[in-house]
Amino acid sequence: MPNSQAARSSVYPFSALVGQERLKRALMACAVCPQIGGVLVRGQKGTAKSTAVRALAALLPHIEVVRACPFSCGPGGSLCPDCSARSSGLARGETLPTDWRPARLVDLPLGATEDRVTGSLDLEAAIRFGRKALEPGLLARAHRGILYVDEVNLLSDHLVDILLDAASLGVNIVEREGISFRHPAEVILVGTMNPEEGELRPQLLDRFGLCVEMAAPEDIDLRCEVLRRREAFDSDPSEFLAQWIETERQTARALVEARRALPLVRMPAPLMAKSSELCVEACVAGHRADLTLRRTARALAALAQREDVRQSDLDEAAELVLLHRRRMPPPPAPPEQEPQEEQKPEEHEHEHEHQNQPEQEQQPEPQDGQQPQQQQAEARASEDEGELEQSPESNETDEADAENQGRPLALETIFPVGAAFRVKPIVYKKDRVVRTGSGRRTRSRTSQKSGRYVKARQNPAPTDLALDATLRAAAPHQRSRRELPQPGEMAVLVQRSDLRQRVREKRMGHFIIFVVDASGSMGAGQRMVETKGAVLSLLLDAYQKRDKVGLIAFRGQGASVLLPPTSSVDLAYRLLEDLPTGGKTPLVHGLSLGHELLLQQLRRDPTSFPVLVVISDGKANVSLAGGKPLAEARLAARAIADDGRIRTLVVDVEKAGLIRFGLAQALAAEMGAQYFRIEDLRARDLVDVLRREVLEGTPR
Amino acid sequence: MKNHTFAYPFSAIVGQDLMKEALLLNVVNPRLGGVLIRGEKGTAKSTAVRALASLLPEIDVAEGCPFACKPGPTNGNDSDFCVDCAVKAEAGTLATARRRTRVVDLPVGATEDRVLGTLDLEAAIKKGEKTFEPGILAEAHRGILYVDEVNLLDDHIVDVLLDAAAMGVNTVEREGVSFSHPARFVLVGTMNPEEGELRPQLLDRFGLCVQVEGILDIDSRVEVVKRRMAFEDNPEDFARIWAKEEQAVASRVERARALLPRVGFPDELLRLVAQIAVDMGVDGHRADLVMMKTAKTMAALDGRDIATREDVGLAAELALPHRMRKKPFQDIGLAQGAVAGSMEKALA
Repeated sequence: MPNSQAARSSVYPFSALVGQERLKRALMACAVCPQIGGVLVRGQKGTAKSTAVRALAALLPHIEVVRACPFSCGPGGSLCPDCSARSSGLARGETLPTDWRPARLVDLPLGATEDRVTGSLDLEAAIRFGRKALEPGLLARAHRGILYVDEVNLLSDHLVDILLDAASLGVNIVEREGISFRHPAEVILVGTMNPEEGELRPQLLDRFGLCVEMAAPEDIDLRCEVLRRREAFDSDPSEFLAQWIETERQTARALVEARRALPLVRMPAPLMAKSSELCVEACVAGHRADLTLRRTARALAALAQREDVRQSDLDEAAELVLLHRRRMPPPPAPPEQEPQEEQKPEEHEHEHEHQNQPEQEQQPEPQDGQQPQQQQAEARASEDEGELEQSPESNETDEADAENQGRPLALETIFPVGAAFRVKPIVYKKDRVVRTGSGRRTRSRTSQKSGRYVKARQNPAPTDLALDATLRAAAPHQRSRRELPQPGEMAVLVQRSDLRQRVREKRMGHFIIFVVDASGSMGAGQRMVETKGAVLSLLLDAYQKRDKVGLIAFRGQGASVLLPPTSSVDLAYRLLEDLPTGGKTPLVHGLSLGHELLLQQLRRDPTSFPVLVVISDGKANVSLAGGKPLAEARLAARAIADDGRIRTLVVDVEKAGLIRFGLAQALAAEMGAQYFRIEDLRARDLVDVLRREVLEGTPR
Repeated sequence: MKNHTFAYPFSAIVGQDLMKEALLLNVVNPRLGGVLIRGEKGTAKSTAVRALASLLPEIDVAEGCPFACKPGPTNGNDSDFCVDCAVKAEAGTLATARRRTRVVDLPVGATEDRVLGTLDLEAAIKKGEKTFEPGILAEAHRGILYVDEVNLLDDHIVDVLLDAAAMGVNTVEREGVSFSHPARFVLVGTMNPEEGELRPQLLDRFGLCVQVEGILDIDSRVEVVKRRMAFEDNPEDFARIWAKEEQAVASRVERARALLPRVGFPDELLRLVAQIAVDMGVDGHRADLVMMKTAKTMAALDGRDIATREDVGLAAELALPHRMRKKPFQDIGLAQGAVAGSMEKALA
């Protein structure tokens, strides 16, 4: 079948992009020196991210390739098996015949399947001629060109792993369907992403040589120019292209010249030292940043037609290279922050007990100004408790008293977010099991058929037939099967052993809603700090696992969804940070709101695993329907239990004292939930327990 | 298009003027990027979209092409042709057919292979050939892609939909098939916000957004029921009664389409658009573009060849509500008078 990547509508010219200088420079630097390793473009919606990348492809210099080589081998570079066989058969002084052609921009669409990325058995060749040959995949097509992933943060984990493997080796190794093949795959990885949709895994992040943040300019004149040009392009593309053709040619020429100049560019020793210094300052991991920084600085110098790198080149390069690699950031900056957490998990271990959190984990400014207020709140909260421990009913009057005495009713305090921690590696291992296993937890045939088809595996009785994989499995045997008696009329003879099942991957593995008590009593001790820390840790873990986490807080007169189910850690951190504590305890509203959110999710995707985590002491003193608050809460709990699809966990935050009311325990019993006390369960363990007991347990 | 003659006539829909206007704007100018209709159940959302089908213009398509390629000279160096049509065009054997623009349904339960297209089972088994079987995106090219309950769409379907909508090309690299074809469509979605919100990225893909509510006026409500009953009693008769009104709308749309390329947009308005976008704190440039295009299209629908401030104001009301969301779960919508304030500021 002819490939039709060429079917693309007119491309907006690169030089006609308004502003966005940094992006243009980054893309050009990569075009000059492909070893830089690609660009990650982060930015808001509608900031010409994709337009810029597509426009660049039209300007890429031509490359020399071995004639008729499907893997675009370059003479002198690494060769595919065929080309190396051919070249070793050549006489001395002879070279392989070559052609010049434009470098390619290859799209990796989000819906791609594994076989097309790595390449797979050539079906037609196998069936018609019984020949086992590799049909090159996208990695082969993109060799020595750009592999472009739009919305790279939404790419299936499985494909990301394949990309990482190939990108780090520069070689694509195919071992499948009886084919064993390796060919060079040096690609410039260009990805765009909108951070709103969730972050990228740090490992993939580091793979991108450069990173650019984009935002639309606020300047009115610039915006008007954007509008004018876009409208002109839309109404008559060919006319617009004709206007810009000369500038486009100049830019293309500049690229060719810069490529030629690149080997001559030297970096003076002081600047070499300076570049290493910059990397150390930024606390980057490993040495990829150093190398990339130097390459980028040299490419920028080459673009300026200079033979020596200057300080200005280095500065510009540093902005592009270090943006996504800088660590020890002020929070929140989740992706950069994580590797650091990984290195020193012990440090945080004892910290929930102390008031003094490490600086970086806390809200920077309010600390001083808020300290007295916070202490006051704590003092008040423990007052509440003192009274509460005498009688569970008295807390209703307690709030009323407060009002009568003219004290502010809802004394609000904003507690810092407790230390986030990395979930232990052991847990990770287990979690991988969950992820691949989630496809196996068959509930019904239909439910299994949703999700993204990423690869196939052998299954003699498939419920979800992977036709392509089945045919590929059958293909090599066609000749021998034809010799059997009664081969039948079909072109392809399929046997049971050929059947392949689709392996699907769901982005939304688990769906966890936290219902957190943020009423006055939570202010005591470090409860709120710990709770916030636990939620954040789960979020950090969840965003990589494609779980979704939401947060509901109840306080004062009602409950509200603070964090709608999301995988954006950035957003979560900000919302968590600002979560105030204080006021009454409308437990029932919290529960029913949580229930509602989970039902919404179940309607949307009946195969998801909804989990409700209630963090509370079980007290309730605000009713929803006008009944007794506690009785109402029990009813709401029972409704959740009756639903049967929701797994639940109650964390009791009632402080150990002389008298315990055990309200949370009763609630847990009502809900059929697993029950834990916060003393037995420090924040770190909460994550463990949740993963081990709730998420991996069999559905009830 | 089966029994489209019996679809409820567009012009017979009572009230819901903003929704009707937004839909018509998209018919006149497919580059507006579609419309998202938010509202409760039973507010004629789906009826209006289906009724639109009969107002859509006829288009030229390459005969027998599953991708509805546009015959004739192409813009620029690249072609809008699929592989087969490109070959035919080269050989000069590309035949042209005429048909009405389609409204294609994307059901919420659709699987990825149906949406994107997949390996043709029959050809594979019978002939051992690998051919591409086009999916919903191919069908929707140059037409309207209608997603009822768009907020209930599976996440990964949303992803591939966004991919195609952003590029105007559907690139398929799956199940052993490697294929791409043009896929430019007007995305029309309806949703009931009670069932959950849309992801911001998808929201942004809809050019316009309208909020519909049940009509409270008693007389109008009676009229709604009366017309509906008349329609259900005898759709054919009902269609005949409304044929004249329907024709009037259709010719208004046609005139507007002809006028649109000539509609002017003064510099002063350009600045106004940019100012509003900055003041409202929207992401990116898409809002600016949509506001401008919408204002121009409004002028064309009105039969004017120049856009006015009023057009821009109204366009802002349609283009901004769903782009204002800074945080999820924040209510969607514009603050009263926000646009007006920004306009005054820009014009001062």
